[in-house]
Amino acid sequence: MPRIAGRSTPEIIAAMEAFRSGQKPATVMDRIAKGFTEAEIRAIADWLSAQK
Amino acid sequence: MKTRRSFLKASIATALLPMPAFAQGQPRVLVVGGGFAGATCARELKRLMPDARVMMIETNATFTACPFSNGVVTGLRELRAQQFNYEALGSLGVSLVYLSARNIDPQARTVTVTDGTALPYDRLVLAPGVDFRWGSPAGYDEAASARMPHAWKAGEQTLLLRRQLESMEDGGLVVISAPPNPMRCPTGVYERASLIAFYLKARKPRSKLIILDAKDSFPKQRLFQAAWQQLYPGLLEWVPLSNDGKVVSVEPASNTLVTDFARHAAAVANVVPPQKAGAIAATAGVADRTGWCPIDPVTFESPLQKNIHVIGDAAISGAMAKSAFAANAQGKACAGAIAQLLAGQTPGSGKLINTCYSLVAPDYGISIVGVYQPVNGQYVDVEGAGGTSPLEAPRETRAAEANYAAAWFRTITAEVFG
Repeated sequence: MPRIAGRSTPEIIAAMEAFRSGQKPATVMDRIAKGFTEAEIRAIADWLSAQK
Repeated sequence: MKTRRSFLKASIATALLPMPAFAQGQPRVLVVGGGFAGATCARELKRLMPDARVMMIETNATFTACPFSNGVVTGLRELRAQQFNYEALGSLGVSLVYLSARNIDPQARTVTVTDGTALPYDRLVLAPGVDFRWGSPAGYDEAASARMPHAWKAGEQTLLLRRQLESMEDGGLVVISAPPNPMRCPTGVYERASLIAFYLKARKPRSKLIILDAKDSFPKQRLFQAAWQQLYPGLLEWVPLSNDGKVVSVEPASNTLVTDFARHAAAVANVVPPQKAGAIAATAGVADRTGWCPIDPVTFESPLQKNIHVIGDAAISGAMAKSAFAANAQGKACAGAIAQLLAGQTPGSGKLINTCYSLVAPDYGISIVGVYQPVNGQYVDVEGAGGTSPLEAPRETRAAEANYAAAWFRTITAEVFG
């Protein structure tokens, strides 16, 4: 499984957007991503990208 | 994160200096209960407030996790794979008290533990999980559970149910009695039935399993029922409330479950009783007439007692299911809110997630997801998000979800206890 921590903010935002739109195949992330606004996704991505 | 933490630390120190309640500038936070909610919260409190005195009061030095314990019931894994200790929590600076909380004085702000010591707190977090409403169904008390196990708190009961299934002869009738909501792990009964059916099909194929249910519906119902039809036709039968499914009494001497119109003599009887918040919640005065604990969804503070927060299965958290995932999420949210409150800040509301996996067979997983936010004092589903696995999916998808379920268990237990 790929690591999430340390990936760049744009990379994480792109992945979340793709999950949300259904472009990226998923089991649960599509259902989760739809619950968050763009601003929230950005905040999540900023936090994750700052993790080691 | 470092910046935010040191900022928080600084602001706590400043806020606390003039307040005599916090001797030596160290707030005291007590957590009662070391399950997924309590242990998560204690760990997160210490991480957010390294200078705070965080103490966790828990009866047992060994924690036995409920998620995946249906695998123990059916011989797919051993109980020790469910067991964890609090050593890591202790080494992070959380004080551990292996006693039971006996009494709580919300005015004096103390918790009295079983050795008689009164422990003071500035903020108290109650994470007592569930207790059973003994006597419901009629005749089902703690003594009866030695004959008809509930196995709804993992440990000896889990092993008892397993031994009963193992010693049952082929052709026996297994009956599971499912309680009304609210209950811990609302999909757990159906996962258990599925895995028992898997075991029976392989080992005792002339046997039969009946779920007598006090409800007319349950989460992931269509997914479960489609899988049952496919995997266990004729072996597993679900009897809903409207079809005389509610067990009104039990007769342990003959292992019989009684509904309004029928008597079911079982070879193995698994009675999951109706539930309420763990007893200490009522003692503290934070449980309402339902037996559960209302909360402010942002801070998890009780509207009934100031400075007492309730998280996990005991709390009334709206649309959020009583699951380990939800308990973990609530533990973190509550710790964040308490850190802010102690720093004199106003906690902001956020969204919480829950994901529950169920195994219909060892290589067949299904899931339900929810994203929640507080609206009018209650957690509600964020519209357009969440939902279950697709009704139609290839077996590879089901196998992948079974793997993700196992990965989830490893991840959450490592995060909380590792």
